[in-house]
Amino acid sequence: MIWFLTIVLPLLAAILAAFLPAGRRGSGLIFAVAAIPALWLGLVEVSGVTAHWFLMEAHFSLDTPRRIILLLTGILWAAAGIFAGSYLKDDARRGEFSFYFGAAMAGNFGLLISADVASFYTFFALMTFASYGLVIHSRTPSARRAAGIYLVMAIIGELFLITALYLAVQSSGSMLLADIPPALAEAPNGRFIFLLGLIGFGVKVGAIPLYFWLPLAHPAAPAPASAVLSGAMIKAGLVGWMHLAPVGLVEWPSLSLLMVSLGFAAALGAALYGLTQVDPKTNLAYSSISQMGVMTVLLGIGLYGGIPAGLLLPAIALYAFNHGTAKALLFMGTALPAKVGGYWRILMWAGLGIGVLAIAGGPLTGGLWTKYLVKTFLGETSLPGAQTFLLLLTLSAVTTTLLLSRFLHLLTRIGAPAENKAPAYLLPWTLLLLAGGWWTMSPALLPTELLNHITKEKCIMAFFWNLFTNWSSLWPIALGAFVMAFTLKFAFLNRWPINKPLLPPGDFLHIILLAGNLFAKLLKKGNSLLRSGMPAVLGPEKFLYRILDDKRTSQFSASAEALLRRWEFIGIGFFIFFITLFLFLR
Amino acid sequence: METTSFLPMLILISSLIPGTMILLLREEQVALRTFLNLLGSVAKVGLVGWVFAGYLRGEEYTFVFDLSPDLTFSLRVDQLGLLFATLSSVLWLVTTLYAIGYLEGGQHRRRFFAFFSFCVTASTGIALSGNVVTFFIFYEFLTLSTYPLVVHRGTDKAVEAGRTYLWYTIGGGTILFLGVVGLFVVAGPINFGQTEIIANLISENGPLLTVLFFMMLAGLAVKAAIFPLHGWLPVSMVAPAPVSALLHAVAVVKAGAFGIVRLVYDVYGIGLAEQMNFLTPLAIFAAFTIIYGSVRALFQDDFKKRLAFSTVSQLSYIALGVAIPGILTSTGAIVHLVHQGIMKITMFFAAGNIAETYGYKKISQLNGIGRRMPFTMGAFTIAVFGMIGLPPVAGFISKWYLGLGAVESGSYWVVLVLLVSSALNAAYFLPIVYRAWFCEPEQEAVPMLKSGRLETPALLLIPVMVTGLLSLAAGVFAAVAGSPLSIAREIAEKLYLL
Repeated sequence: MIWFLTIVLPLLAAILAAFLPAGRRGSGLIFAVAAIPALWLGLVEVSGVTAHWFLMEAHFSLDTPRRIILLLTGILWAAAGIFAGSYLKDDARRGEFSFYFGAAMAGNFGLLISADVASFYTFFALMTFASYGLVIHSRTPSARRAAGIYLVMAIIGELFLITALYLAVQSSGSMLLADIPPALAEAPNGRFIFLLGLIGFGVKVGAIPLYFWLPLAHPAAPAPASAVLSGAMIKAGLVGWMHLAPVGLVEWPSLSLLMVSLGFAAALGAALYGLTQVDPKTNLAYSSISQMGVMTVLLGIGLYGGIPAGLLLPAIALYAFNHGTAKALLFMGTALPAKVGGYWRILMWAGLGIGVLAIAGGPLTGGLWTKYLVKTFLGETSLPGAQTFLLLLTLSAVTTTLLLSRFLHLLTRIGAPAENKAPAYLLPWTLLLLAGGWWTMSPALLPTELLNHITKEKCIMAFFWNLFTNWSSLWPIALGAFVMAFTLKFAFLNRWPINKPLLPPGDFLHIILLAGNLFAKLLKKGNSLLRSGMPAVLGPEKFLYRILDDKRTSQFSASAEALLRRWEFIGIGFFIFFITLFLFLR
Repeated sequence: METTSFLPMLILISSLIPGTMILLLREEQVALRTFLNLLGSVAKVGLVGWVFAGYLRGEEYTFVFDLSPDLTFSLRVDQLGLLFATLSSVLWLVTTLYAIGYLEGGQHRRRFFAFFSFCVTASTGIALSGNVVTFFIFYEFLTLSTYPLVVHRGTDKAVEAGRTYLWYTIGGGTILFLGVVGLFVVAGPINFGQTEIIANLISENGPLLTVLFFMMLAGLAVKAAIFPLHGWLPVSMVAPAPVSALLHAVAVVKAGAFGIVRLVYDVYGIGLAEQMNFLTPLAIFAAFTIIYGSVRALFQDDFKKRLAFSTVSQLSYIALGVAIPGILTSTGAIVHLVHQGIMKITMFFAAGNIAETYGYKKISQLNGIGRRMPFTMGAFTIAVFGMIGLPPVAGFISKWYLGLGAVESGSYWVVLVLLVSSALNAAYFLPIVYRAWFCEPEQEAVPMLKSGRLETPALLLIPVMVTGLLSLAAGVFAAVAGSPLSIAREIAEKLYLL
């Protein structure tokens, strides 16, 4: 029963909230109530069920990593729901927002509790398409553009995903997700299937080179929606990867190295690129790409073998938990500086500071502990170059701190209201602060085996204090913060962009679009060349020209062109072409 | 245990008699005509339901009647036929309601409803026919009874479309006729399911039977709108919306597709067809049609025309599923027979509602229509997701089986075709959804042509919501016994047991 409520309540809430009169108090509470079953399932172990009547026979159950992520997801949706209730109370499209919000919420919960391929894919699609409505919410031209690119990329992702699922189901001979990793480990084309899944879910995760929609789409949504997009929904792709990855069962050096290098490239590259941005939300989106890179690295080392899935996957989930809560805190925090005044600002800055520290892995936060998990596994892997990876990880802490201290600096530039006041949505934000990454150390989330593996039978708190006093985690953060403070302090060093981003958000998307436009221009030119030489030609070729000259043909090509322009199709087409090329040359 | 039963005949009569009686009525007798129509369609659904229940209990219904010593008229109920008959009768009931609302106050309604009834008689006849000859009779009956519907509006364009329609279908019918006669001469009367007859003859008459197979396939491919024989379909969308809906969802195109299913599975047999390599050309043509129809659909601004090209594309999924041997692809093909029907009829109803309520016939006019007609466009959006193959709508189930079956039989190119088609489906349907829900209307207040308390008259609104919900239910409850999927799977399992 509770399994169905997990999905049905958000759907009901979506419909109910869409019809609530505008400005009604407490409408956000509906979503908090709808998240209760998910929170319950995240905290209490419930045995799985089979729904014979749903789709092609659905199974619902949870394992440890997904339970951790479900708890994270439940917390974020509940907090964002309450936050949105008051944040958007004067918004004209509040009802529509609630509808898409609830539908995406149902999809996100559903995909986490699904244990079979069909229902997983169903809820994944529900979430993906419902969140389109969140991205496009403001209806500004830039939001429309971001949503369009999001949609094209989402569909490309879905296509890769369904291919991966066809092949995976065929090789495992079962619809259960749990049967896939062992089957992939055995199957001769297991690597190929995993690669397809890597691409399909990679779009959602924002892995290199599929991430370029993310810095456009995540900031386009209203603050609470950005929070769940970047905190919870992005993790759905990670969960998808975990479903496919035969961690501990195989030794796939090439794929492992691919994931690790792409992961580090994202961890460092995205953080550095994010520094060129002036919108705090874009800044955060790049930080998400960077943090997902660290998780990609972790999963990547799992494919090299030697680390059991039972230890690695929960560790990834804990890392995701810490990042998710902190990232949602910061995203919702972007709405605060303009509204919070007086003494409340102390609370606001303290909360934002804790969020930044948690992501960077600073002292006193859960980030310290989850980063230590990453370090431990990086140290244990037999993958060549593990020492370099540890160095890169430390370096990424520096870049993350740089990026996020820049984020804080951008927030300080927003004018504060004069009087001592706080909006109603400061309350859910504060509650989310309490639900931070510290809980990754609580026995409710931390599996005993993992604890024993890491701390060698030591009590977690003793271990944590030990880590804390050990300072080694502090110097990269101190370095990053110092560099930022130093460059801001001295005018001749302060070259940070203020009004316009130094480089456009969405980075290499623009190269794709440029190539696409060039291609379209060439096509147009070639077409007009063909036409201009037409009347002079006689003979059998005339037939060809008749086709070209036909009024219908010209209308046809004109509309074709308009379509290509509108959807920025060619650019995306180029991208598909390169991916296909890559797959064939593999 | 086979006993003669009048039930199959009753199913046919339930629409034939009201049709004939409507012809005898005067144009103004609206109430009586409506009553007859509804009585007929409700009776048909009831009868099919009864036969269905009986069939599940293990009873067999056969109605045999000798036309001449050699020729038998035979109606027989089997699973495949029942599936198609159920689809026809349910959608007919819905479409009748819709047509009553749609044509309210129109011209020549007597003629319209009479032929409308004949049309459904023909399509249930096709569903229930037990042998090749009976099938052919109803197949041609269908051609003739749909012509007056296509030209219903009586405009030049409609008459022109009617002419094209006749050229194609009569041409196809002729080739089919030659094939059927040839088959009769070579093999004698063949009841559906008696695949052993051809199997025994193939060693002697191999080349002749091959030629006959392709003749019949070509004849059927006209109605199934397989490239290059699809030309009539986009043209005949000038017909009124309920006709287009019925034509595109159940009656004509499905007769063709159903015929191909029968020809391959129940006349020649899947094993033989595979062995003789009959299926590769079919697969290639079907695959090409899928892509071609989608590409053409991309460039249509006329709402119904875009839907028509989409039908061309979607129908070939059935042919493609038939052409790839395997239990999963067969399931996919048979289930798509039903799924495509309910999804496409929803789309045509929606297009008709918009045209009737606001007079919009172009996609570029649809900005913000979702706000004005939320229920119509909601149903339409469900159908769109189904067509793209996104769960949990019915189309996902079909595509899942087709794709998985293609992988299992090693035909990876089919997966590629399905993917490209999904992408194209998204490319030509999602802009409509985008316009409807996310664009602001160009004019603020537009007068409704038919105003009322609801977004559109109830008789137009209820059918589209019913079929929209059916498309969703067929996907969500696919695993329930009695769902299209479960029946299709049983049929497919039986096929490969032999």
